[in-house]
Amino acid sequence: MNNRIKELRAKYNLTQLDLAKKVDVRRETIVFLEKGKYNPSLKLAYDISKVFKLPIEEIFLF
Amino acid sequence: MNNKRKTLMITSVLVMAVIWGFIALEKGTDLFKGLDLIISILIIIIGVIALIGAFKRDKEKKKGLTLEDELSRLIKYKSGYYAYLWSMYMWLFIFLLKDKFPNVETMLGGGILLSATISYIAKYVVKKKLNE
Repeated sequence: MNNRIKELRAKYNLTQLDLAKKVDVRRETIVFLEKGKYNPSLKLAYDISKVFKLPIEEIFLF
Repeated sequence: MNNKRKTLMITSVLVMAVIWGFIALEKGTDLFKGLDLIISILIIIIGVIALIGAFKRDKEKKKGLTLEDELSRLIKYKSGYYAYLWSMYMWLFIFLLKDKFPNVETMLGGGILLSATISYIAKYVVKKKLNE
C-alpha cells in the first residue's frame, strides 16, 4: 500500500518528529510508513488523516 | 533522565561490578580464559546494549515522543516469538553438549545470557525484515 505522507508532510512543513508527536507514535513508525514498509492501524490512519485534513483514501492509496 | 531511573541504573552497574569483583577474586586470571571469557564478553555486550537502549528511550521521552506505539508493539511480539523459538533450539543444543560444560552453573548462566543475546538478535532481524 502506497501513501502520500511524505508529500503532505512537506506541504504542511512538518518534520517526521512533528508528525510523530501529533499522532502519538514513535518517529521510527513514520519512517516505516513513508517507506511503505508498514500498514497503519485504522486508528493511526484516521489520526494522520485528521492532521492533513484529508480523507483516509486520499492519503493511503490502495 | 529522571532521578529514579538514574539511581536504578547506577545501582545495577554497581551491583554488577561488585558481583564481578567477587568472581574475579575467586577465579583470578581464570576469568579471562575459555568459556568464562566468552561469558564475560556476553555480559558486557548485553549491558552496553541495554544502556544504549535506555539512553535512546530517554532521549525520545525528552523530545516528547511516546515510548511505545503499535509498530514497536508489533516488533516486540514478533521478536518475542522468534526469540522463544530460537531459544528452545539453543537449550536443546546446550543439553546435548552438557558434558562440555565445567559445571551446571556455567551451563545455566551461559544459557540465560545466550537467551538474552538471542532476544536482541531477534529484534534486530524483525526490524531488518520490515525494511526489506
